[in-house]
Amino acid sequence: MRLDKVIACLKALNFKPKVENFEHRLIIQKAVYLLQLKGVKTGFGYHLYVRGPYSKELTDQVYASKKKFENLESPASLSNAESRDIQEFKELFGEFKPSTLEIAATYSFFAFGEKQDALTALKNVKRMKSFYSEAQIAVGVSKAKEFLFKPNEKELAGLKEELRPWQEASAKSMRG
Amino acid sequence: MNNDFLSLIEESKALNSSIFSLIRLQLLSSIASVGKDGVSYRELKAVLQVSDGALYTNLKFLEETMYVTSKKINLEGKELESYQITPEGQQAWEHINDWLKKLVECGVKE
Repeated sequence: MRLDKVIACLKALNFKPKVENFEHRLIIQKAVYLLQLKGVKTGFGYHLYVRGPYSKELTDQVYASKKKFENLESPASLSNAESRDIQEFKELFGEFKPSTLEIAATYSFFAFGEKQDALTALKNVKRMKSFYSEAQIAVGVSKAKEFLFKPNEKELAGLKEELRPWQEASAKSMRG
Repeated sequence: MNNDFLSLIEESKALNSSIFSLIRLQLLSSIASVGKDGVSYRELKAVLQVSDGALYTNLKFLEETMYVTSKKINLEGKELESYQITPEGQQAWEHINDWLKKLVECGVKE
């Protein structure tokens, strides 16, 4: 069952949810979405709504299985790759700050889900989340990029080229 | 086709026509889309890009019609006003939604 997988993820994140708590429901929505983009598939469909990427079905199922959900009862297990992804998520978003997750998920929807260029994605986040400060948006976007950005060959070559002078200088200094 | 159109006109008599303003339809659709989780005033304002006056008046209207309810929620220490759809609001929105789809399909057949 798809909800079992979500519960397994929350267990691995050491997050004990309270279904009636609005902040907790928001954290679950955004964490599941970001993990799905990373490759931890739970099968919940997300669409862009007024709050950013959102799965109505997930909320409905969370309410329908409230006790099981709050007790983190799940027979589902996670693969090694999924556990690694969750660990990475925990390192970046482990404080479970709703605003950071909300911004990161919304940016990710545009940049990684819809494949918009970084500037357009940022513009859309700023429009939808105009009530957050520039600093809050910068933190959320930077964490989303750190979590999901996979450079292609061209970008990797560009990065290597950018780092070349530093590497050469370092080798030169080592040779004395 | 004429029969389709005429039956649509007949069907429209059962709809709550006071909802047929752009902002009210946008509000009802936005609030219905997030179901039990509800949506905050500031999110509606940011996405719909309307003035406080227009937003407040139309939300008040939807509350008086009993299509939405409001409650206070706490987010990162801030108290926010959040709006949820009621079963009556959900039903009205589905009714309008179905009717609008039929209206569009009727136009496509032309």
